[in-house]
Amino acid sequence: MKTIISLITLVSFSYANQYTFLLDKYDKEIELEAKIIAKIATASISKQIKLFIPQISPMEKKVYSKFFTLAKNCQTSNFVFMNKTIDNEELCVKTNKLFFTNNYKKLLADNRYYGAFFWYKSRPNIVFVKNRLKTKGIELPQEYNQYIEDLDEK
Amino acid sequence: MKIFYLFMLFSSILFADSLSSLLQKYKNTSEKSLKTVDEKLGHVIIYSQKEIRLMQYNKLSDILKELPLMNFNTNRYGLTSPSLAGTKTTTSGFFRFFINDHEISSAYSQSEALSWDDLPLDFIDHVEIYYGDSSFAKGNETGIYFIRMYTKSALKENANEIKLRGSNNGSNLQSVMQSQSFENGWSTLLFFNNEKSNATMDYEDQTLQNNSNRKYLYLDVSNENTNINIGYANIKKDNYMGLSFDVQPDGGEIESKDFFVDITQYFLEDKSIKLGLSFDINNLYNEEKNKEGIGLIPVLDLASLGTTIPKEYNTEAQLTKTNVYLSKSFQYKNNNFLTAINIKNKQYKTKHRTTVNFLNTKTDVGQYSDFDEETAYSFLFEDDYRVSKDLILIANAKVDKYNKKGYLEDSTEKLFRIGTIYTPFKNFGLKSFYTSTYIPISFYNTDLANKNSKNLKSQKYKIATFEGVYTHGESKFSVLYHNVKIHDFVYLTPVGFINVDHDIKTEGLTFNYEYHFSNTNKINLNYYAMRLSETINNSDKGGYIKYMGEYDKFSYFTSLLYKSSYDYLDIHVRSSFDLSLGVTYNFSKDLSASIKGSNLLNKSTKSLYTKGFPGDTFALEDHDRSIYFSLKWVF
Repeated sequence: MKTIISLITLVSFSYANQYTFLLDKYDKEIELEAKIIAKIATASISKQIKLFIPQISPMEKKVYSKFFTLAKNCQTSNFVFMNKTIDNEELCVKTNKLFFTNNYKKLLADNRYYGAFFWYKSRPNIVFVKNRLKTKGIELPQEYNQYIEDLDEK
Repeated sequence: MKIFYLFMLFSSILFADSLSSLLQKYKNTSEKSLKTVDEKLGHVIIYSQKEIRLMQYNKLSDILKELPLMNFNTNRYGLTSPSLAGTKTTTSGFFRFFINDHEISSAYSQSEALSWDDLPLDFIDHVEIYYGDSSFAKGNETGIYFIRMYTKSALKENANEIKLRGSNNGSNLQSVMQSQSFENGWSTLLFFNNEKSNATMDYEDQTLQNNSNRKYLYLDVSNENTNINIGYANIKKDNYMGLSFDVQPDGGEIESKDFFVDITQYFLEDKSIKLGLSFDINNLYNEEKNKEGIGLIPVLDLASLGTTIPKEYNTEAQLTKTNVYLSKSFQYKNNNFLTAINIKNKQYKTKHRTTVNFLNTKTDVGQYSDFDEETAYSFLFEDDYRVSKDLILIANAKVDKYNKKGYLEDSTEKLFRIGTIYTPFKNFGLKSFYTSTYIPISFYNTDLANKNSKNLKSQKYKIATFEGVYTHGESKFSVLYHNVKIHDFVYLTPVGFINVDHDIKTEGLTFNYEYHFSNTNKINLNYYAMRLSETINNSDKGGYIKYMGEYDKFSYFTSLLYKSSYDYLDIHVRSSFDLSLGVTYNFSKDLSASIKGSNLLNKSTKSLYTKGFPGDTFALEDHDRSIYFSLKWVF
């Protein structure tokens, strides 16, 4: 018995990339989503980022708080990631916060958003709108150039 | 100082990867398809989006034929249907099939074979296979194997796709998928598929026809809290052997039209209240002509076989299924509770059913039995208690109350399940369940019930399973032990279904090993063996080896499926070795061409059939060798 326990203990310390059972809800996708948003926000704002996600889910709260200081409301934030459908007309009207969305059509329709992180043809995409970056005085690093588009503004 | 270290840690995590590499990782992680996995439902096998793509699984049957602890054979109607290892399907209900939350198994026979076994996987994101009864948490009907297909997300696809496929035997397929998201948060995914399949099998000096035409339509309309799924399947095919005594019908066909609409609505911010409403309608048509006679069990009278054996048979039936499900989940201390009610109504209407005997007398047979409607009221409860970070105890209870119209008595079934999931080390875990459950009697069972013992009882199952998983680096090794005891097993004799008068026992082991060579290449080995207390009439051992990967613009796979030999009566059925190979060349990110060879050694599985009445047994191959070519364009 002792030998079996020692053996299991020994092998347990060996390097493992695979999982055995997923006891908790799988959160790696949200974690990578949070990393991507954190990278974008850090490149866009030089100050400490206070992120606000409207109607944030418990899982998002748990994962995003590893990378961000989460704001309880829109007013106390400086970066808003809109990844749900809410009545957003009333949200932080006439403020200079940065708005990012996960909906490309919303990006096209609403010039409050300076960029979007969305899926297209089964691939994740990022688009920043050139004019809106300029208006908001955002200078992104060179590696972001491939994601900047010159959309025709109405 | 602490803040400084935290800042350094945060920065190193965040800036170690470029934005493009993070996007690639995000895509790879999404393709692992692990978001919907629920370990508490049973012992799980996942066919991820990546595996479906690399292995060129074109239709559901490509996956079903390699699953452990089961066989996947062709039946007399030329339909491939699953059966538990060691046996050939005579009754269904062990296997339950779902598209998202909606059960697509037939309301008539509890089988998926006619409408869904050739379901194209182009609109399916991933497939989860649960060994164990997962009806406890989902409110569905009971079973042993649960095949859950999850459709692609319109938000992630967000494009149009056209696919064309042809094969060496003249079969061809066209499919279109259109998905888009809207500014208001709604998204739609529409899929349409048309397949003309040519299939024949040589038997004695004749060729059995198994040609078919299948059309599938699927529409998903969703937002964050609402999912509306609409599905339609239209199948028209040859009878293959049908029920003809000489195995070679002179004419006839099968037609099935299946339609369902399923609406799921989540309430509250944490989505803890779930309401599901669904409606299914299935029209079945079958006709058969055979001058040597048709073995239509319900109309045969042993005392006057000469006048009751039909030479022509024609039937049309309609099945409807209405389902309402309401659940609430909540947490209390270390417990996750789930409680739900489910109401299901099934109706079976015989539109017409006629036979013509050898005296050319036409008989309006009508419905076989007066059992033509059933309403099941279910109440279910689940508690998973987290004893510690690495130990979960699971307890389930369910009560199903059946109101049955006709000669079958109303009944109440009580079932329960207890289980544990224990991961004492990061790379070593144990999972076990003990389940007391049952399989209900279907309209198909009562239609074909032995006239001397028509009061069929549901089959009672006691299932104990134990799984161990060990991982090391890129390797994962698992062993699953199962022990099943069945009381009142429903068995099809030459004169109809009976409850077997003794308990049936089976136990077995399944081994699985997988190794990831890199982020893209993977090898997977599987082997199972089982013991059955009865005489086996199908393979009782099997396994596979699969290798898949990607390099530059190519993706490729190979697989070898094995099912063991066996002897039944005076027939020896050889082992089967189904070898498949496939390559895809990606001209660009949006355009690809594929070639796939299936059953290349021409040693497919064989199935047992009978000729005559009560009949001599013979074995016949299930599949021919096939080569497929396909082209996919995303725009």
